[in-house]
Amino acid sequence: MHQPLTPKQIEQLQQQGCRAADWSRVRVSFDFDPARVHNVRFEGDVTLGALAGDVTSASGLSRPCAIADACLINCTVGNNVRIARIGTHIAHYHVSHGACIEDVGLMQTNPGASFGNGVEIEVLNEGGGREVILFNELSSQFAYLLCLHRFRPAFIDKLIAFARAAAQCAIADIGRIGHGAKLANVGKLIDCNVGDAASIWGATSLVNTTILSAPDAPTLIGDGVQGHNCIVAEGTQVTEGAILSKTYVGQGCRVGKQFSAENTLFFANCEAFHGEACSVFAGPYTVTHHKSTLLIAALFSFYNAGSGTNQSNHMYKLGPVHEGKLERGCKTGSFSYMMWPCRVGPFSVVMGKHTRNFDLSQFPFSHIEADHAGRCSFVPGLNLSTVGTVRDGAKWPARDRRKGNVKRDRIDFDVFSPLTVGRMIKASEHLKQLQKSTDRSIDEVTINGATVKRVLLRTGSKFYDPGIQCYLLEKIVTRLEAGQSLAAAPDGLFSEDWLDICGQMMPRQRMLDLCAAVESGKIADLAALEAALDDIHRHYAEDEWAWIRWAYQRVFGAALESADPVALADQLLAAKSKFLNLILIDAGKEFDEQTQTGFGHDGEAADRVADFAAVRGDYDHNKFVQQMKQSIEQLGQRIEALKKKLSQS
Amino acid sequence: MSDIAARVKNVVARTLKVDPARVTNEARFVEDLGAESIQSVELVAAFEEEFDIEMDEQSALGVKNIRTAVDFIARHLPPGG
Repeated sequence: MHQPLTPKQIEQLQQQGCRAADWSRVRVSFDFDPARVHNVRFEGDVTLGALAGDVTSASGLSRPCAIADACLINCTVGNNVRIARIGTHIAHYHVSHGACIEDVGLMQTNPGASFGNGVEIEVLNEGGGREVILFNELSSQFAYLLCLHRFRPAFIDKLIAFARAAAQCAIADIGRIGHGAKLANVGKLIDCNVGDAASIWGATSLVNTTILSAPDAPTLIGDGVQGHNCIVAEGTQVTEGAILSKTYVGQGCRVGKQFSAENTLFFANCEAFHGEACSVFAGPYTVTHHKSTLLIAALFSFYNAGSGTNQSNHMYKLGPVHEGKLERGCKTGSFSYMMWPCRVGPFSVVMGKHTRNFDLSQFPFSHIEADHAGRCSFVPGLNLSTVGTVRDGAKWPARDRRKGNVKRDRIDFDVFSPLTVGRMIKASEHLKQLQKSTDRSIDEVTINGATVKRVLLRTGSKFYDPGIQCYLLEKIVTRLEAGQSLAAAPDGLFSEDWLDICGQMMPRQRMLDLCAAVESGKIADLAALEAALDDIHRHYAEDEWAWIRWAYQRVFGAALESADPVALADQLLAAKSKFLNLILIDAGKEFDEQTQTGFGHDGEAADRVADFAAVRGDYDHNKFVQQMKQSIEQLGQRIEALKKKLSQS
Repeated sequence: MSDIAARVKNVVARTLKVDPARVTNEARFVEDLGAESIQSVELVAAFEEEFDIEMDEQSALGVKNIRTAVDFIARHLPPGG
């Protein structure tokens, strides 16, 4: 409860350099301590809480709760805060308990502020057409559906209505600085909401922006940051002169080192330093670390950009059309260039300067290069059994920086899944058919704008097939080991095709059902839509099992029920041992003679080996190699144990 | 054996697009003939097609020059192949 100032309190405040346009509009808590308020001008309705004890400043020092050298206009101030040295004023703000605001130039909320909510982001095409509306609860799945499913206008209309309703909820005349938030050396905050426990230290300007933050997932906005028309989510750090305009930065992201982004969405755990993003839909784990790297008008996820990566489309005449799609797990080599539109299948590597459009979405794990004329050539499936792919698969879950209870983006991490293996099955079948139908006099075959050497058609199948078998048999044998039935799971839903809805994989039918439910009004608001997506996420394993049963029959030509469990175990042993050995061979390449070029500088020939061993270690002692060898050993033990168990049952 | 060697050299010259005169018995694929990693994959595929054999990557790892390629293929050819 707050009460008017007593005459004695007013007198003391005046003696301490305070002024008010109308003292009767200043109200304070019953235990308000005027001794802690100096040189403050009050304008309009101002409410002050108790001031006792200390708060922790942005720099980590304990500082006394107080209000000094500030002008407060129509503000409510919670208990035990520190507000000091405000250049112009703090106008129309609620400063929550325990906040610390020091050396801030200007803080002001204008009537009807939306704090970045409702801003429309033009992703994938600079000219628009796929706008995503920002709101605080935006998930990667919602943004993806709104952006990409424009072929269902009734569905899109509903999503737009959900987004606008959510954005509307954020509109207010008063901004909020959250509990325990720390602001220091900030230029200006205009129409900016700051969440609980956030730190904003040295930012240049934040305008029409929300900084979401929570005590268990505090957000940091650092030196020189400019953020206009943005939302930054919990647990994220935007630092070191980053410039963000019309941008959403999701949970657990790191953006800094002068990175600039415009019309861009970053979802969970993205990292962006030095370079530039323009109209980019950066799904979870999109990473760009280097200077001269421009990501433009494209969709990425689980992506790593090499230095100097660049894309464009100079061919348009009626306005820019880009539509670059690099599906999950792709990498682009240094100074790679792609002319949009292009589509690259999951876990592929793109090298060179591509000046032709191509679509290799149906050939996952491919190695894609450009020839001297900019034409695309590829080796299907080459990246399937590489060290890099295996390491990527392990590192992403381990690097999930999202903390706290709310994780907005649903992420399925599996490298091998019905999404990727389904494409591998079709790719292998396609390559075999092409190999059969192509005359030996033909040197290369063109598929969707990219060429593959004829002799590599068979090689591609040879890369894909062990991976397909490993995945299916591993899933089946794991169930046998757990004593689970190989029958269909009651709640599993089957679709031959699976989709990657920006990190969340699902059977096509799940997505179709979801869209239909939204269109019919059965799913009537954002909360219901997010709950439906959560429900799909929970059914992943059952849906995957339904798909595996189907895929087994397609690949092995017999129903799973008719398979001999012991034979399945033996098949897994053979297929997986071979697969793991291929990975070991790939690891071995990092220790071969050619890799040692550059080592042993100024030394003799023998010194090169010693120098390499000192710096890089040796094959046998390499941690990854040891893990792989252990996996092979354990696989043998697993299979033996299973066979014993099966013989006893 | 000399027939195998000739065919191996022919495949190598064609695949790597190098002067056949440079494809000697001791020529190393990477250091002397400039084979890149991807071309090594292509070479294995071309050998498989030429000789109708299977070369798994593990076995092919030891094939570093023309001579070892000829020996490897000779060992893997079916009798009379």
